[in-house]
Amino acid sequence: MKILTTVKKVVDVELNIHVENGAILDKGLQYVINAWDENAVEAAVQLKESHKADTTLVSLGSGDNTDIIRKCYAMGIDNAIHIDDPALAKADSPTFARVLQKVYEAGDYDLVITGKQAQDTDAGQAGIMLAQFLNIPCVSNVIKIEVTDDSHIQVSRLGDAGTEILDVTLPAVITVSDGINEPRLPAMRGIMMAKKKKINVMDLAGLGTSFEDVGGTAPTSEIVEFMPTEKRKGGQKFEGEPAEVTAKVVDLLVNEAKVL
Amino acid sequence: MSPLFMTLLLVVGLGIFARTMYQRILLLMALEPTDRFNRIKDRLKNMVIIALGQKRLVGRKKERASGIMHALIFWGFCVLIIRSITLYGEGYVHGFQLPLLGESSVLGYLYIALKDIMEGVVLIMVIWAFYRRLVVKPPRLHNTWEAYLVLGMIGVLMISDLLYDGARFNLIASYGNPGDLHYFNNPTFGQEFLWTPVTVLAGNVISGFSATGMERVMGLMFWIHIITQLAFLNFLPLGKHFHVITSLPNVFLKSLDYPHDKIKLLDLEDESVWEDETLGVNHLHQLNWKQGLDLYTCTECGRCKEVCPTYVTDKPLNLHDFNDTLKAELYANADNLILRAKLAKILTGDAEKDAKTKEKMAVFKPEKALVGEVIALDTLWACTTCRACEQVCPVTIEHVPRIIAMRQGQTLMQGEYPQELNTAFKGLERNGNPWGIGYDKRADWAEGLDVKLMADHPDAEYLLWVGCAGSFDDRTQKVTKALVKILKAAKVDFAILGTEEKCTGDFARRTGNEMMYQMMATENIEVLNGYNVKKIIAACPHCLNTLKHDYPQMGGHYEVVHHSAFINQLIADGKIRVKKSLAGMLTYHDPCYLGRYNEIYDAPRNVLNTLSSQGLNELPRHGTESFCCGAGGGRMWMEETIGSRINVERSKEIVAENAETVAVGCPFCLTMIEDGMKELNKDEDIKTRDIAELVAEHLA
Ligand code: SF4
Ligand code: SF4
Repeated sequence: MKILTTVKKVVDVELNIHVENGAILDKGLQYVINAWDENAVEAAVQLKESHKADTTLVSLGSGDNTDIIRKCYAMGIDNAIHIDDPALAKADSPTFARVLQKVYEAGDYDLVITGKQAQDTDAGQAGIMLAQFLNIPCVSNVIKIEVTDDSHIQVSRLGDAGTEILDVTLPAVITVSDGINEPRLPAMRGIMMAKKKKINVMDLAGLGTSFEDVGGTAPTSEIVEFMPTEKRKGGQKFEGEPAEVTAKVVDLLVNEAKVL
Repeated sequence: MSPLFMTLLLVVGLGIFARTMYQRILLLMALEPTDRFNRIKDRLKNMVIIALGQKRLVGRKKERASGIMHALIFWGFCVLIIRSITLYGEGYVHGFQLPLLGESSVLGYLYIALKDIMEGVVLIMVIWAFYRRLVVKPPRLHNTWEAYLVLGMIGVLMISDLLYDGARFNLIASYGNPGDLHYFNNPTFGQEFLWTPVTVLAGNVISGFSATGMERVMGLMFWIHIITQLAFLNFLPLGKHFHVITSLPNVFLKSLDYPHDKIKLLDLEDESVWEDETLGVNHLHQLNWKQGLDLYTCTECGRCKEVCPTYVTDKPLNLHDFNDTLKAELYANADNLILRAKLAKILTGDAEKDAKTKEKMAVFKPEKALVGEVIALDTLWACTTCRACEQVCPVTIEHVPRIIAMRQGQTLMQGEYPQELNTAFKGLERNGNPWGIGYDKRADWAEGLDVKLMADHPDAEYLLWVGCAGSFDDRTQKVTKALVKILKAAKVDFAILGTEEKCTGDFARRTGNEMMYQMMATENIEVLNGYNVKKIIAACPHCLNTLKHDYPQMGGHYEVVHHSAFINQLIADGKIRVKKSLAGMLTYHDPCYLGRYNEIYDAPRNVLNTLSSQGLNELPRHGTESFCCGAGGGRMWMEETIGSRINVERSKEIVAENAETVAVGCPFCLTMIEDGMKELNKDEDIKTRDIAELVAEHLA
């Protein structure tokens, strides 16, 4: 089984993000691997361990992603491709999906595993669109993967009404939720050894396509402006006899907050 | 007596002994090197105080009686060594006397008197020891046949010598000295009998024998004594009584200064170390020879486990088993280790040339994995690095550096460590703190407090090192704010690093993650040296310890003071005034990294005594024998799923003392004890407060 996983480098959302004139200030930001993609990598590595799957990782973006790719290598990924093209800085989800399509077609993959969404945009589209473009099955929000045979897997996904169990014919795309696993922190030794592994870096031309080809010049959506989120106000603490407190809280909910 | 028989005994007895010792030394030489031959004067001093003076046996109040017992047996042995030489001489020369210790000098007389008393004393101590083992049965003692055998042998040695001399006295005094036996008889000092009452008493006990019977008894006792002694000597290296031989050198060779051998600064850039698994202790041969000698020396007295917070709370770490298991493994693999070391000597450093040698070396690998099979993972990870064990060990065995080195192997090489640590490691990697809270929020606590940043005030006299807990943990932030209040009241010129500060890396280092530690340390030192920081105030003993003792290895040299000591000085200098108005029973919990690691015991007590109207009340376990809160050594970031909880055990002790306030000087202790109180439903009655908070509340 050949697996393709994707990773995106995102801004660390643990940090305060400062916005000025509708744009994010780069000062003090740091970048990390998208947490859901880490789950995807872990899922791939687990399949490698249990079913001898061959795992390839692809990261898209503009700029150096060596740090996060090394980390994935250290986790156990076999091969890595980085599509590094300055044009991708402005790309939207369909464009990314098109690029992934090209990567997919250049290999001979049975299964694509991606994070269900990226922590920065929270769009959650690239994986699903990829399946659409490739015209292969797609299951999103997956929390469990089991291999049935060479061309079938069974997955559980978190649906609105509960857990859904689906049989899927390969090739397919699945997007995973964080409930699927606890990504390993690679052993230090793995990280050091990973330094030696080669990363296959190429731009869009190297992939045999162009920004225009993947729809980048005609985006379907565009970021107009960033706005800072409003700070959450501190809560109120009530102390005293339960009956009194309850009456007070109800009163506030009815008259001040007007939610009841 | 019989020179031929004596020679035969000596050749056989000493020959076998020499062979065993040679093997033992070869095995030590097969282990990793470590330099322990510097500063001879300090080493001799340690040896005199700790080993010869039996400081840790006699010095502990709790165990004084048994300590004195052991010390007397030991000192008795020291005295009797000279006597043994005389007896060996007697085997060859009738009436053999040592120069200076013969009958012509007062020294000779003093010596026989001392020897006489000591034999009596040792005999009584042996009887007491039997009684203790058989009847009292202190729980820490490992009651083995070996212990009884050795006690028995010591008894036989004393009795045989006393009876030998007693029979000799009888023959001289009552039977007209038929064999022309020699005895001390100097006109100035009198006859030997006057100086040796115990021997005379022994003589009386056997006075019923005839002259021939008496001669036979004398001869028999002589040979029993010699044979027992040689047997004893050969028995020692086989078991825990090896300490009789190794204790003195072990104490002499102990690490100096910092409480124990500092964690080695590993060279992580060298690629070969990752391939050869040479970081930390992954295999037996990676222990250093002193650690091997420690294992030889463990007396299995159990003092360490008795004070160990993990053992007391039913975790699998039982130090004397830990030592014993390692020692057994060392012995079981002795031949292979020695052969391996021989091959290691011919390594050239050239990877290609060495490949063959390394292949051969691999053959000598022990069958069992050092960690996982010989030492269980749960055992290794239980330790809180509190050092209580090292503090009480009478022969100065260092457990913690060995445990940390083994953890390094696990974390760096095998990736085998409690998975809960992942979150903390990740937090460290991304945001420089184990909680993983955004690094840019590090100074949020200071909002509105008008605390200067180093960036704006680089000439500040002191840097206030806030630490991760002080920065991010809600509860500890209160301590930081209290400290700021005090520093401001005292008009101290200080600043903080703000978002430029990162975790010191203490917990990473103590969980074996040297890589993460070095990452933190490098960045911090760069910032600190960039501001040319000289003096640091830290409210966290873990930060203090790392800044003060770990950072110099990487080029960070600072004068670091704990806030309790700093506040103590402020009060002494009259820079702040406090009211003696802290009412109610006050007690103090010594943080391990403040007390046992940095020997700061008095400063916090002085401060507390200044505040408390009724004075500080000590807990049963305090000072050097304080009981850990359970959070050190990275345990703060691991789950405690085995046995009972350490913090609750400690909290119970505080509750039992009827304390109303318990003062601490460490953010982890604060969290742990406060949680313990909550668990016991005592958080309403007993307040857990940092010293800084108490001082800030009582500023005049
Ligand atoms: S390590 Fe020290 S304290 Fe522990 S059993 Fe051995 S000798 Fe006793
Ligand atoms: S350092 Fe503390 S926890 Fe660790 S073994 Fe020693 S006494 Fe036990």
